[in-house]
Amino acid sequence: MPETAVYVYGIVPADVETDPDARGVRDAGVHVVRQGEIAALVSPLTGEGPLGRPEDLTAHAALLDGAAAEVPVLPLRFGAALADEQAVVDELLSAHHDEFAAAIAELEGKAQYVIKGRYDEAAILSEILAENEQVVQLRQAIQGKPDDATRNERIALGEQINNAIEAKRQADTQAVADVLTRHGVLLNVREPTHEEDAVHIACLSETAKQADLESSVGELARAWEGRVKLRLLGPLAPYDFVVGQSGEQ
Amino acid sequence: MTTAIQPAGGGALGRPSASGLADVIDTILDKGLVIDAYVRVSLVGIELLTIDARVVVASVDTYLRFAEAANRLEISQTEPKGLPGLIEDVQRGGARHKAKGALEAAGDKLRDFLGETLTEGEQARRRRQGGD
Repeated sequence: MPETAVYVYGIVPADVETDPDARGVRDAGVHVVRQGEIAALVSPLTGEGPLGRPEDLTAHAALLDGAAAEVPVLPLRFGAALADEQAVVDELLSAHHDEFAAAIAELEGKAQYVIKGRYDEAAILSEILAENEQVVQLRQAIQGKPDDATRNERIALGEQINNAIEAKRQADTQAVADVLTRHGVLLNVREPTHEEDAVHIACLSETAKQADLESSVGELARAWEGRVKLRLLGPLAPYDFVVGQSGEQ
Repeated sequence: MTTAIQPAGGGALGRPSASGLADVIDTILDKGLVIDAYVRVSLVGIELLTIDARVVVASVDTYLRFAEAANRLEISQTEPKGLPGLIEDVQRGGARHKAKGALEAAGDKLRDFLGETLTEGEQARRRRQGGD
């Protein structure tokens, strides 16, 4: 096993230059390897244990997201490494030059933004209790009784609440999607990653229109104040919108 | 292979919590470009840690947690504000904390929204735009 490898973050136009201070995974200096019209953002990787520690993940994301704010970038999924820089040129850049160049051209001036919303638990439960008589009755049935004696009722109550939250998530996600669609952005509705997620959507927007996006999401955030905690992340590298068809599991 | 700019059809893998790291994990592990050369990772001897991913599937545990939360909500709404005098002093101190906590939480909420548009250091700069 060789001592070092080359970690690859993503593909950018060949005219991109890295900041001499740019640091990547394992705090290594980042530079570009160019071939034709495209280049790979890379850093040397020494073989000290497996990749995937929290700081490895955040270093990968920070480097790519920083780049995406400035230039079009095709982010690679976390953990791509090649044997050496010649392999980056031969196996990555030369082998896929035209497709990468075309994809980069499509991404010019655009970056990814992620809208995440999480329900306030007390607020959403109150809302459900106000709307659903069955939930009210089940809650009354468990009140003041020991857990063991009311296990079935508790499960039924929890399931009703879970179903109600799913319905609300669907409606609220649609509401956000409608707002984003008016901005003419490409959307990817993500799966929830928490049972109280209200919204989880990635969109590809022109960075020049970021202020419009912020203002629209800000309006929603104010309308949902106290009910949904809404966050807008970005600009990020367009992870959700680059798809390599071969090699995809 | 072809590289298409299109929705990736989000991964169904979920993770707990909502810290910055969770946001990163939601994004970089199951999304982004995967290339043929990617499989050569094993050839250069770099081992990838398996990150424990949690799929959000409604389970009995989830239901019981929701039921407990609904139960607690009821208690906090129906309990009279005053608690037995015996612990009132302690409660008073606690209440101040609580009020402060709520204010801080509100501030966080605002910051969360306003500050979330990450302005990470622009580490890669474009020659034709940034070079002067």
